[in-house]
Amino acid sequence: MSDQHILSAYDRDLEAIQALVMKMGGLVEAAILDGAQSLETRDVELAAKVRANDKAIDELELRINEEAARCIALRAPVSKDLRTVLTTLKLAGSLERIGDYAKNMAKRTNVLVEMREIPGPDASLRRMAREVEGMLRNVLDAYIQRDAKLAEQVREHDHDVDQMYNAMFREFLTFMMEDPRNITACMHLHFIAKNIERMGDLVTNMAEQVIYLVTGELPEDSRPKADSTSYISKVD
Amino acid sequence: MNDMRLIDRAVDMKDIKFSARNVQVYYGTTHAIKDVNVDIADKTVTAFIGPSGCGKSTFLRSLNRMNDTIDICRVEGDILLDGEDIYDKRVDPVQLRAKVGMVFQKPNPFPKSIYDNIAYGPRIHGLAKNKTDLDEIVESSLKRAALWNEVKDRLDAPGTGLSGGQQQRLCIARAVATQPEVLLMDEPCSALDPIATAQVEELIDELRSNFSVVIVTHSMQQAARVSQKTAFFHLGNLVEYGETGQIFTNPVDPRTESYISGRIG
Repeated sequence: MSDQHILSAYDRDLEAIQALVMKMGGLVEAAILDGAQSLETRDVELAAKVRANDKAIDELELRINEEAARCIALRAPVSKDLRTVLTTLKLAGSLERIGDYAKNMAKRTNVLVEMREIPGPDASLRRMAREVEGMLRNVLDAYIQRDAKLAEQVREHDHDVDQMYNAMFREFLTFMMEDPRNITACMHLHFIAKNIERMGDLVTNMAEQVIYLVTGELPEDSRPKADSTSYISKVD
Repeated sequence: MNDMRLIDRAVDMKDIKFSARNVQVYYGTTHAIKDVNVDIADKTVTAFIGPSGCGKSTFLRSLNRMNDTIDICRVEGDILLDGEDIYDKRVDPVQLRAKVGMVFQKPNPFPKSIYDNIAYGPRIHGLAKNKTDLDEIVESSLKRAALWNEVKDRLDAPGTGLSGGQQQRLCIARAVATQPEVLLMDEPCSALDPIATAQVEELIDELRSNFSVVIVTHSMQQAARVSQKTAFFHLGNLVEYGETGQIFTNPVDPRTESYISGRIG
């Protein structure tokens, strides 16, 4: 059993597409970390950089789509090669969405600079962002190493991000009830928290795609959802 | 952005090997090739695709004057190899065919030993000064055709005793032995199984670093896999010629679209 195709150009094509995904993943990781840092330190310049870099992420997604389409048209991939190409398309789509959320975080930094400070959430948001970035790093590793076990760990890890979001949701409600002048800032901060939570969900989807890539099957058991804010009606 | 894929697939049209201008080919009264203009790039694999009888093989054969052997065949227009008209009276077709080698649909080794199959061309063209030279040509040709390891211990065995895929690679080795500048291949894999086909395709991809390769194929997938440029022929017309990725993902002409997607025959 050989891992290589007789037609070596085919391998080079597949490797190149995967390299593009890894590159895109690297840019998105940086966007998450920089976005969160710009928020915590109210660094408008860094926020501007995150917003500018999003263009490169979007362009990479287009490139990946194009290359994947070419690969399907020219090579007619089957079996694990087909899963590689399909997975690549889906991962690129998720990465693009995550990149957008990171950009949105940077955008709100500019607004929050003008607002009264809410003590606490900035550091929590950054912690949450770091958590998601770590998950993303692992999922990219799992992808390139075809490691379904690692992907499964990432999938389970999303629970922690959901818990962090729940805690912050309650925190924001408290701040807003304490003083209505906090509402605007808290609304922005809440959107940021929600966006990071969504990033976690997207990373989880990516992990499921990686499991599909490696095993040929999507995980059947539904993931334990820990975001319970849909049911919160009042703060205890 | 540094991209392996694009470097790999890059088509550099700067060096043109063959240049066809207003080429017409007639078989008696039949107008088989109608006003074809095409530039074939050096160090590139160019694929000709199209339904049976569309003229792709006829056009390929006119590139090394194989049509000369057909009495009723008449070629008009200019076909330039490195800027020189190959139909000029002063051009010796035998010398031309040493420069423009050809591999056919069915493997056709000479009924001689493996060694002599390869050595034949270099001998008649006087490419080897002595036996050592010739040995070297035979070895390097077989290596280029990825056949050396399989036959090095039985060079005296008859070429016809090899398997189909090996015979075809032997014919490719024979074609490269005269150090041609262009290699024409007319359906080189249609008699081969998928593995032998893949080996020949890999070989074509490697040959590209030294030669200009033109391949006629019924298999669109093969054209897609091995070529950088694709030309689509239909009813004697060159309908579309472009970068292979573009032809197979976004062809310009509706006839190309119909053919590659299996809508017309």
